[in-house]
Amino acid sequence: MFGYVRPLKCELKVREYEQFKTAYCGLCNTLRKRYGFFSRFLLNYDFTFLAMLLSSGEASCEFEHRRCIASPFRKKCLCRPNPSFELCADLSLILFYWKLRDTLKDEGFWERLKARAVLLILGPSFKKARRNAPDFDERVCRNLGELQALEENGSPSIDETSDKFALILAAVSEKAESEAKKRVLYQILYHIGRQVYILDAVDDLERDMKKGSYNAVARRFDIKDGKLSEEDKKELKITLSHSAGMAASAFELLEQGMWTSILANIIYLGIPRITSEVLAGTWNKKQKY
Amino acid sequence: MNDPYSVLGVSPDASDEDIKKAYRELARKYHPDNYHDNPLADLAQEKMKEINEAYDLIMRMRSGGSGAGSGGARSGSYGPGAGGGGTGSFAEVRAAISMGDLNRAEAILRSITNRNAEWHFLMGSLCYRKGWFDEARRYYQTAVNMDPNNLEYRQALNYMNMGGYNAYRPAGYGTHGGLTSCDICSSLLCADCCCECMGGDLIPCC
Repeated sequence: MFGYVRPLKCELKVREYEQFKTAYCGLCNTLRKRYGFFSRFLLNYDFTFLAMLLSSGEASCEFEHRRCIASPFRKKCLCRPNPSFELCADLSLILFYWKLRDTLKDEGFWERLKARAVLLILGPSFKKARRNAPDFDERVCRNLGELQALEENGSPSIDETSDKFALILAAVSEKAESEAKKRVLYQILYHIGRQVYILDAVDDLERDMKKGSYNAVARRFDIKDGKLSEEDKKELKITLSHSAGMAASAFELLEQGMWTSILANIIYLGIPRITSEVLAGTWNKKQKY
Repeated sequence: MNDPYSVLGVSPDASDEDIKKAYRELARKYHPDNYHDNPLADLAQEKMKEINEAYDLIMRMRSGGSGAGSGGARSGSYGPGAGGGGTGSFAEVRAAISMGDLNRAEAILRSITNRNAEWHFLMGSLCYRKGWFDEARRYYQTAVNMDPNNLEYRQALNYMNMGGYNAYRPAGYGTHGGLTSCDICSSLLCADCCCECMGGDLIPCC
């Protein structure tokens, strides 16, 4: 996805930071094991968050030490693949697959060529991932289709468009074991998905205006020059912080476990910080944190 | 019931003071105000009940079973959703929203052709429950514009404009941004309106 859902590193304890890395490396390792070498390029912070969230109630997990391509000499400690991590690996591939299919439809020649190449390289992995999580695959396909229809019609609502995207993430909650946990995860994921979609639209504003492609925020605030006014930013901040609040109040209802403090950092500090950076225009997607 | 100490997250040999502190922190976390109009309000309420029971039980056990009550603040019964009365189908919409039956509420609202201030307010409430906060705010705004004297509508809009800053945050996760002087003024003005409704006055000059 986009890398907005990450902890605020300076506020993590050293232990939490080390633990976060075990999740990050753990997901990378799960991707490699399940889907081969190239799939690890899909690793990102958002899915690391999801993996931690899905294993949130667990008191501990199994660790292992191993070398990898990013650290060929020193062994790293990482979480062993478990069902939550495997699910996140499946989802990473499925979401990326449909994103590429989108690119094939409406991007320029070079972008399309790149997408084709990736589809070729990762083809078998995509196939396997879609087989592993067919219900999610169907869900992503349907919701992205609906989202595209809204975009083609130039929907002026950020709620309606972000809803389609948020529902994709929220669908992951169906994997939870109890009814109550399903509802809690649904709220967390829906509102984080909603924030991610809106933040991405704000972040892409200038690029989309230049290319003349649809942008939900631009349509909502009727922006012509690619710049948000202070008044627009205030309104976006209000709507985003309500979503942040909803995600947080749901998060407090989750059972506590080994990942709780890191997840709290992401929800209470990480996402709000990135929200203000994106709104201020100082966010850089490529930056390491 | 689970071990009351683990419910409060304290060890059985914790001091009364520590237990009270843990209880207060949890009660603050799951307070109904934090789950106002929240689809998970019932889960928070359950949690609150569990905490209250655990605290009461510990206090009873510690005072030798003489049945000492808890010293913590208690919340009364709480029901989410738009409160207040309403006329005809609007009352039905309110009921549907508070039951969490959003599809029904939406169907009724869409079928109403007389789109007055209350209609916009209820559309706002419905959007809020769906998590469509941008539209919720705009509907509330329209409702207030159409009927500026209605306290319910203004409160809803004010709550929206506060941007959830009053929400609970655990210790150590301080606010980034926080209240601005403008929010404080608008809250005071709102409080003044409440007072005036009841015959009192908070800010004498307005």
